[in-house]
Amino acid sequence: MALEKEQATYARELKRLLLNEGKFVLIHGDEVVDIFDTYNDALKIGYERFKLDPFFVKEIKAVEQVHFFTRDLLGCRN
Amino acid sequence: MPQLTLPVAPEGCTLTVYVGVSSDRQAVLRAKRENIPEPIEINAMIDTGGSCTAIDAKKLVPLKMTPTGIGHIHTPSTKGQAAAMPQYDVSLAFVAPSGSFVASSVPIIALPEISNTGIDALIGRDILSKCLLVYNGVEKKFTLAF
Repeated sequence: MALEKEQATYARELKRLLLNEGKFVLIHGDEVVDIFDTYNDALKIGYERFKLDPFFVKEIKAVEQVHFFTRDLLGCRN
Repeated sequence: MPQLTLPVAPEGCTLTVYVGVSSDRQAVLRAKRENIPEPIEINAMIDTGGSCTAIDAKKLVPLKMTPTGIGHIHTPSTKGQAAAMPQYDVSLAFVAPSGSFVASSVPIIALPEISNTGIDALIGRDILSKCLLVYNGVEKKFTLAF
């Protein structure tokens, strides 16, 4: 899975990040770059600073947000 | 308010959607004098049960993107376990005779093997939250206004 290092950084810093629950964190490698009010603000700064290098934008949540699909998508190979 | 009225297909409420790289990524590509990939045209289905929008991962290949997030999903086939999937930032548009819906930068989750169902993407409630959807079952058509 891509962005493994960034996910590990998020998990490591989550307790501190939860002070800003509901906002969006920008992470590059081991570094928490900044926290933003909106997804689009975080994305914009991510591209401005890191160009096409991988970076990670995530909404800060105490409980991981899970997206639900009622339609079956995975494991549908015949 | 532009609107699009289409027949309900056997699969459900389907429409043509254009997906491209996000406006922020476009700006980087432009600054680096790299080609900006043309948006791809896909067959999408409206999924009012979907909390976000998802696309077949294979369809994104021409856009040469790297993920900028991870989405956790539940579907009937994940059997109660959340599955982590890459999330990309894209532009998303659909066209009506009287105007276009354009989201210049939205997160979208890439899933394997949607296309073998005849559907390339699922339009979830994140996009629908910006629209008015009317399902006319009697006349077998639906209207999307935005």
